[in-house]
Amino acid sequence: MTAYIIRRLLFLVFVLFGVSILIFGLLSTFSPERRAAAYVTTPQQAENIPLIIKEYGLDKPIYVQYGKWIQQVAQGNLGWSLVAARPVAKAFWNYFPTTLELNLFASPLVVIVGIWLGTMSGVYRDSFFDHSTRIAAIVGWSLPTFLFALILLMIFYGYLDLFSPGILSSELALWVANNPDQFVRYTGMYSIDGLLNGRPDITLNALNHLVLPVLTQVIVVVALLMRVMRSGMIEEMSKDYVITAKAKGADFKTIYQKHAKRNALIPVITVAGQLVALSMEGSIAVEVVFNRQGMGWWLAESATQLDMPVLMSVCMFVGLVFVISNLIIDIMYAYVDPRIRLH
Amino acid sequence: MAVLLTAQDLTTNFYTYEGVVRALDKFTLSIDHGCTFGLVGESGCGKSVTVRSMLRVIQSPGVIEGGRVLFSEQAGTDPIDLLELSEEEMEGIRGDSISMIFQEPNAALNPVLTIGYQVAESFLFHRTAQMSTRICEKIDGGVSFGLLTPLYRAMLSIAAKSPKSRFLKACSRIPLLRRWDTPVKDEAMRRAVDIIGKLGIANPEEIVTRYPHNLSGGMKQRIVIAIALACHPTLLIADEATSNLDVTVQAQILQLLNDLKKESISSILLITHDLGVVAETCEKVGVMYAGTLCETGKVEEVFSRPLHPYTQALLTSVPKFHQEGELQSIEGSVPNLVYPPSGCRFHPRCPKAMEQCSIEKPELKELRKGHFVACHYAEAQVGGLV
Repeated sequence: MTAYIIRRLLFLVFVLFGVSILIFGLLSTFSPERRAAAYVTTPQQAENIPLIIKEYGLDKPIYVQYGKWIQQVAQGNLGWSLVAARPVAKAFWNYFPTTLELNLFASPLVVIVGIWLGTMSGVYRDSFFDHSTRIAAIVGWSLPTFLFALILLMIFYGYLDLFSPGILSSELALWVANNPDQFVRYTGMYSIDGLLNGRPDITLNALNHLVLPVLTQVIVVVALLMRVMRSGMIEEMSKDYVITAKAKGADFKTIYQKHAKRNALIPVITVAGQLVALSMEGSIAVEVVFNRQGMGWWLAESATQLDMPVLMSVCMFVGLVFVISNLIIDIMYAYVDPRIRLH
Repeated sequence: MAVLLTAQDLTTNFYTYEGVVRALDKFTLSIDHGCTFGLVGESGCGKSVTVRSMLRVIQSPGVIEGGRVLFSEQAGTDPIDLLELSEEEMEGIRGDSISMIFQEPNAALNPVLTIGYQVAESFLFHRTAQMSTRICEKIDGGVSFGLLTPLYRAMLSIAAKSPKSRFLKACSRIPLLRRWDTPVKDEAMRRAVDIIGKLGIANPEEIVTRYPHNLSGGMKQRIVIAIALACHPTLLIADEATSNLDVTVQAQILQLLNDLKKESISSILLITHDLGVVAETCEKVGVMYAGTLCETGKVEEVFSRPLHPYTQALLTSVPKFHQEGELQSIEGSVPNLVYPPSGCRFHPRCPKAMEQCSIEKPELKELRKGHFVACHYAEAQVGGLV
């Protein structure tokens, strides 16, 4: 098992290499002028385009540019982010915790709620419960995320004034910014840092700001997981071993909890793993509507401004997340399904 | 001989998209105490549906529409109607008084649970009270079960009285308290090892930790039998238990069933399409066609002097060792049970069909002593009980 994990992690290097070549290849289809234009912020600078091209080596052959870039990356220098106006590595630790914080609360909810709803509607197929959850799931899945987020915001912020957008209330955010010695940002996540610094009020405030984005994320993502679990459950409940269990004298709950559920979970693990990995990139709609500047927001901004170093780094990060999440999925597979052995 | 189980006018329909499949049409059958009964018929004639209806394990979209299944576990006691019991009472009967062996050992075992657990479940469902009492006695006798012994003693004395009490179920959700049944589970596992060993599987201690995919087909079938036999059922239903096994393993399993019947089980209902198996192992036989029973009686009687034209055709279509020339087969094919033939369901294929056959459904009548036939033609020929 350990050997398997080590081998898979070594494999990671090749995946990242492949991803970087792909992205570099794609970006090289832009002319040097186009890419240089990305560094231009004022009309005066437009005259300096040839200079910029020279400075950044944009007219050199692609492999030279790639070699230069990889050299920098190997030294831990991911480049300068225009959007964030700071080095990419630093900017990453500014944006990533925001996304991670959201997912830390949303992902377990998605998995637990999705599996539970899917199990129940699969077991009590064609019941009222089944129909209502399925309709809710279709609505949640097909409504655009931004529209759904806006509706929630309108109701809970606009009318009820319960939960507000942003990450932290402005007074607290100002206090934190002015007192860096009293409030150490260990994780970058206010809900956790608040506890670590002995400020539960900051934690509560951060949690209050998390409610709506988490709710949006859960409702949008849970639908797919629920449907996979439901169909898996229906399929497993019609298998012969269920009749064996029934003929043994098993009660209904034992049949679906102990016998069918574990079998139905096997495809769900893949979907859940992919969904969680995907949400680590951050949901652009959720982050923009709720004004939480995380990975999704950063990536979207960088893409529109052709912020090359950021695009490269984020793509590498996504590759990393997917390789690791696939590894975790494989390990969980082997844990749930005894027929799978990892070599 | 006293009657163990009687199915009367059992009717089961499947509500499919193509229409209502009338799988069982007023099916009637009775099995005596201590008897091995063979139920034969073509594929798709409703053998499996029959036994699944009796145990009420029909899966959707199948619905039992009517009839009675009378079961008297002790000879001479008043029979109970299994179709009228609550689901909970039925759970107490399944696997304890009546149990079942399934057709496909590969599909019948849960791929993600250990063999040991799957066998032990039988004991956990039906013998928790008994095992708890034993363990309480052991604890009182000074046997220690580790640090938690007092907890076990307290909880198991409750389990000994009512193993399905709400209190115990609630406790199973609380950490630490949920471990009250550890000694019971261990005991169930020990019993599982025992019974697997008895069924002629080498190294049962190791087998219980394995999963179904680690075992061969014959071994899996033995495990399925172990599950069925765990609680010494009064009636064992073997649904094509040997059909998917090769001949040598088939012989071993049949021998095993025969030996077990002498020791522990009272009766066996053997479902098969293999007339040879019936001739060799059964005392009585029932011949099924398209959801109805057409002929039943002692094996020698039915096989040597069949009265129903279907049984006659079935017997002539058995390949014989010294036979030359073409194999006999029955003309036509099994009817579509969404639109079953009127009257006798066999009449479109019957060489002896009369006018009456397409109009009126023949009833099962005792035409010779202990030999029941549902056929207008046979009735006219023999003319009632001689």
